[in-house]
Amino acid sequence: MQTQVNQVSNDIIVTEGLGKSVLTSEGNLHILSSIDLIIKSGESIAIVGESGSGKSTLIGLLAGLDTPSCGAIRLNGKLITAMNEDGRAALRNELIGFVFQSFQLLPGFTALENVMLPLELIGDKHAKAAATALLHRVGLSHRLSHTPKQLSGGEQQRVALARAFVTKPAILFADEPTGNLDSKTGATIVDLLFELNLENLTTLILVTHDHALAARCQRTIQLDAGFMV
Amino acid sequence: MSRFNLAVRLLWRDSRSGELTILILALIIAVTSSTAIALFSDRLQRTMTNQAAEFLAADLVIAAPTPIPVEWLAKAMQLNLAQARTVEFASVLVEHDELLLAGIKAVSAAYPLRGFLKTTTDDYSTETIMHNGPEQGAAWLEKRILSALKLKLGDTVTVGEKPLTITKIITYEPDKKGDFYSFSPRVMINEADLPATGIVQPGSQVRYFFQFSGDAKVLAEFKQWLKPQLNPSQRLMDVHEDRPELGSALNRAERYLGLSSILVILIAGVAIAMATRRYTERHFNAAALLRCLGLKQQEILLLYGSQFLILGLAASAVGCLLGWFAQVGLFHLLQGLLPQHVADPGLLTVFFGFIIGMTVLSGFALPPLLRLKQVSPLRVLRRELAPLPASAWLVYGCSTGIIGLLIWTYTHDIEMTATLLGGGLITLLMLGLSAHGLLWIIHRTLPAMSLTWRFGLQGLLRNSRASVSQILAFSITLVAMVLSFTVRTDLINDWQAQLPDNAPNHFALNIFPGQRADFQQELQRQQISGSQFYPVVKGRLVEINHTPVQKRVSKDTQGDNATHRELSLTWTQELPDDNKLVAGNWWSEPQPGLVSVEQKLADSLAIKLGDYLTFTVGSQQINATVSSIRALRWDTMKPNFYMVFSPGTLDAYPCTFITSFYLPKLQKNVLNALVKKYPGTTILEVDLILQQFKTLLTQLTQTINYLLYFALMAGFTVLFAAVYATLDSRIYEGALMRTLGANRSLLRTVQFIEFGALGVISGLLAVVISEAVIFVLYTQVMHIVYRPSLYLWAVVPCAGGLFVGIAGCWGVRQVLNKSPLRVLREL
Repeated sequence: MQTQVNQVSNDIIVTEGLGKSVLTSEGNLHILSSIDLIIKSGESIAIVGESGSGKSTLIGLLAGLDTPSCGAIRLNGKLITAMNEDGRAALRNELIGFVFQSFQLLPGFTALENVMLPLELIGDKHAKAAATALLHRVGLSHRLSHTPKQLSGGEQQRVALARAFVTKPAILFADEPTGNLDSKTGATIVDLLFELNLENLTTLILVTHDHALAARCQRTIQLDAGFMV
Repeated sequence: MSRFNLAVRLLWRDSRSGELTILILALIIAVTSSTAIALFSDRLQRTMTNQAAEFLAADLVIAAPTPIPVEWLAKAMQLNLAQARTVEFASVLVEHDELLLAGIKAVSAAYPLRGFLKTTTDDYSTETIMHNGPEQGAAWLEKRILSALKLKLGDTVTVGEKPLTITKIITYEPDKKGDFYSFSPRVMINEADLPATGIVQPGSQVRYFFQFSGDAKVLAEFKQWLKPQLNPSQRLMDVHEDRPELGSALNRAERYLGLSSILVILIAGVAIAMATRRYTERHFNAAALLRCLGLKQQEILLLYGSQFLILGLAASAVGCLLGWFAQVGLFHLLQGLLPQHVADPGLLTVFFGFIIGMTVLSGFALPPLLRLKQVSPLRVLRRELAPLPASAWLVYGCSTGIIGLLIWTYTHDIEMTATLLGGGLITLLMLGLSAHGLLWIIHRTLPAMSLTWRFGLQGLLRNSRASVSQILAFSITLVAMVLSFTVRTDLINDWQAQLPDNAPNHFALNIFPGQRADFQQELQRQQISGSQFYPVVKGRLVEINHTPVQKRVSKDTQGDNATHRELSLTWTQELPDDNKLVAGNWWSEPQPGLVSVEQKLADSLAIKLGDYLTFTVGSQQINATVSSIRALRWDTMKPNFYMVFSPGTLDAYPCTFITSFYLPKLQKNVLNALVKKYPGTTILEVDLILQQFKTLLTQLTQTINYLLYFALMAGFTVLFAAVYATLDSRIYEGALMRTLGANRSLLRTVQFIEFGALGVISGLLAVVISEAVIFVLYTQVMHIVYRPSLYLWAVVPCAGGLFVGIAGCWGVRQVLNKSPLRVLREL
C-alpha cells in the first residue's frame, strides 16, 4: 500500500482494512469492518447507508476525529493512524474543512467572527478580509455582524460553508449538510456546496441519506452494517 | 490574531451572554469576602495588638530589678526604637497623721510609648487624655490616696524625702500590672524627681521597666539580639508573652477570625467549582469544534485557562475593591465599639486577598476546566460524547490542598490545620456515603408515594451523582454556617461565663491567720461576696527528681517564669472550684507529702505523676510527690495556684491567707475602711483590668457577628450555582413535561419537593457533621465545654428545606415561564 500511495500521488485518502469496534456488555460490537478506500484529489464522494450503518463513524475516522480499532488511514500520504491526537489536530487544521448537520457555529460569535476563526487559529493576518469575501460569496454580506441566533437555518449553514472553505482545505467533510433544512433551502445549500467545491478543487466527502444528493457526487460508497457494499 | 485575543473575545461574549455570571459572582464574593475579612482581621488584629501593646505601654518591655546595660539602650537607639523607662516601688506615705502604702511609679518623658494616661482635676466628672506623665515637681495621685490621706489637689505630698505638688488625679494608666507595686494606690512622679526622694538605694526593692516601640521587624531583631544576653532576673515582655490571659484571648480571636475566613472561602470555592462545572459542560461543543478546527489539547486548555486567568484577575480586582469598601463599612458600623484609633488598612493585605482569589479560582475551577481538554473532536458528529468526569483525586486533591494551605496561612498552626483538614475529609466522605444512603431509602419508598412526590423525588434520583454533589455542597455550606454561628455563640458564652458581671474584682493578700475569721465576717457584714480563703506559703521549686529545675526548662517558657520567682504554695483538703483533675487522684483523706501541679506548668517542666519535687521555704527544704495534675483557668479572677499541697505538708510553716471578692463601684469606700482596719493586708484592685479585658472581648464578639454575613452571602452563591448547574436540563425536562400536559402548578410543586428535599437532607447531614466537628473542635482545640444542641436539629433541616426550596424554585422559574416550543428549539 505504501508503494501504491507513493506511486499514485493523486490519492488523497487511502484506507486499508479499516475497522472500528466497541466493547459492549454483550461483547465486541463491530461498527465498521474491512474498509478499503482510495479517494483521489478533487473527487466528490457520497457515503450513503441506513441509520447505524457506520457512515458517521467512517467520516469521523477519515477526518482523524476518532481512531480505528484496526487498519490504516493515509491523508495526503500521511499515516494518520500512527499520529497522536495533537498530530491529527495539526493535520485537520492544515487539510480539512467540515460542514455539519447542526451547523456547529459558536453561539456568541458573529457570522464574520465564526468564519474568521479557522484563519485566526493559524495566525492569518488577513482573516477578516478573507472571511468577509467568502461571506459575500455565499450571499451573506448583509449578515456579517449577526450572531447564529439571529440567522435562519439556511443562513447558518451558509456561514458554516464559508467557515469550511475559508482555509481552502484539500478535503471537505460534510455530514448530512441539509439534514436540518427544508428541501428548498437544502437544495440551495447543496448548489452552493458544489459550486464552492468546484471553485476550490476540494475533495468532497459527503454523508447523506438523500440519494438525489448522492447522485450529484462522482462516486457513491454504500455502507451496510459496517461493510462496504 | 493571537490566541490571547481570541480568549478575550470568547470571554467577553460569554460574559455578555450571561454564561459567566454565576462564576464571576461567586469569584467576586469569594474575593470580596476574603479581602474584606483579611483586611478587617488584619486591621483588627493590629488594632488589638496595638491596644494590647497599650497594656504594656510599649511593644516590648524589659523588666529588671536593676538598670539594664547601657549597650542595650545604645543598640535600641541604633535600631531607631523609641524608648521610655518607668521605675516602680512601694513606699509608705504619711500625711495628716495618716499612713498609706502606695505604689510609686517614676516615669520618663517619653512614657507611655503606646496608649495614654487619663487624669481628672475635678473628681471624675471629666477625664483628660494625657500622652505624657507628670512634669518635674508634680505628682499625680489616685483619688483613694487623697481621701485616705486627707489631701486635695494643689496640696503637697512627700514621697520619701521629696515634696511634690499634687496637680492631677490619675484615673487610668495603660500598663497597670497585677502585682504588689501596681495594685497599691498609685502615685506617679517624674523620673527626674526620683533621686531626690532618696528611696532608690542599692539593694532597694525596685523594679525597672525599659520600654521600646517601633517597627515590628526591627523589634523582632532587637528581641532576638537581647534574648541570649538576659540573666535570670531580667524578663522580656511583649503582648503574647506577658499578660497570658490577654495573649490567650488574642490567640483565640485570631484563630476564630482565620477560621471564619476559611469557611467563607470554602463555601465560595464550592460555588466556583459548581459554576465552572456548568460553564465547562456548556462549552463541550465549542471545544469539540475548536479541536475539529485543529486546536491541540494543550491549546484548548490554554485558551480556556487564559480566559479564567483574565476572569480571575478582573474579578479579583473588583473583589479586592469591594472588599476594601466592605471592611471600611464594617469599621464604620463598629466605630462605636472599636478604639478611637484603628490601624490603617494594609495594601499588602489587599494583595493577599488578590492572591487568595487567584488561588481559590485555580484550586476549585481548574479541575472541572480540565475536562474541556478531554473533549473528543468526534463530539461534532456525536453530541452525546462527553469527556470523562474530572478525576475525583484531582478535584478533591486540589481543593483540599488549597484549603489546607489557606488554613495554615491564616492560623500558622499545624495542629489546627491537620484537625480541620482531617475533619473536613472525613466529613466529605461521611456526607457522601450518608447522602447516597438517604437517596437509596427514598428510592425504596418511591412506589408508595403520590404522583407529585414521586416526580419531585425522582428529580433527585434521576441523576443521583449530581444530587449527591449538590447535597455535599449545601451540607458543607450549612456546616460552615452552623459552625460559624455555633462556635461564635459558644465562644462568646464561654468568655462571658469566664467573666460574669459579679466576677471577683479585688484580691486581699497577706491576711494574717489571726485576722482571717474577722476579715471574713467584715466582708459578710458589708454584704460582699468572696471566694474561698487559701493559706499561702512562699516557696521556690528547686529540684525535680533530685535534678535542679533550671536544667529542665528553656527560656521564655511558663516553667522558666515559674522557677525564677517564689511561688505561692497552698494546701487544701478539697479540689478548688474551677480546677479539674486531668491525671492522678485527689487526696481523699489527710496524707502529707503530696502535691498537685497545674497542667501547663507540669507540661512545661515535664513533671509526671509520681515525680519527686523539692521546694525551699525560707531556709528549709520540703519534698512532695506529685499525686495529680490539674487544669485550671487563670482568667477566673479567683485565687489560683501552680502547686496545691495535701494538708499536713506545709502546715508547720508561717502562712498568710488570700481571697478575692466582688466589690461594686458604689461600695469603693469600703476599701479604705478595710485598709485602715487591716493595715498589714494588701488589697489589689483588678476591676480596671477586668473592664479593659471585657471591652476587648465585647469588641471582638461584635466583630464576629458581622463576619457571619460573609458566610451567609457565600452560602447563597453556592445555592444559586447549584441551581444553575442543572438549569439547562431542568428547563428541557420542564418543557417536555409541559408539552405532555403537565400544568404549571404541578411543576411548581414538583420543583419545591425536589429542592426542599435536597435542603432537608443537606440540613440533616449538616447538623450531624457540625455536631461532630464542634465536639472535636471544642474538646481538642478550643477547650470549650461541648453541649449537643436540639435547637440545631430542629432548625437547620427545616431552614435548609425552606431556603433551598424557595431559592431553587426561584432559580428555575424559567422552566415555568419559558415557552416549551422555544425551549425545545433552543436546546
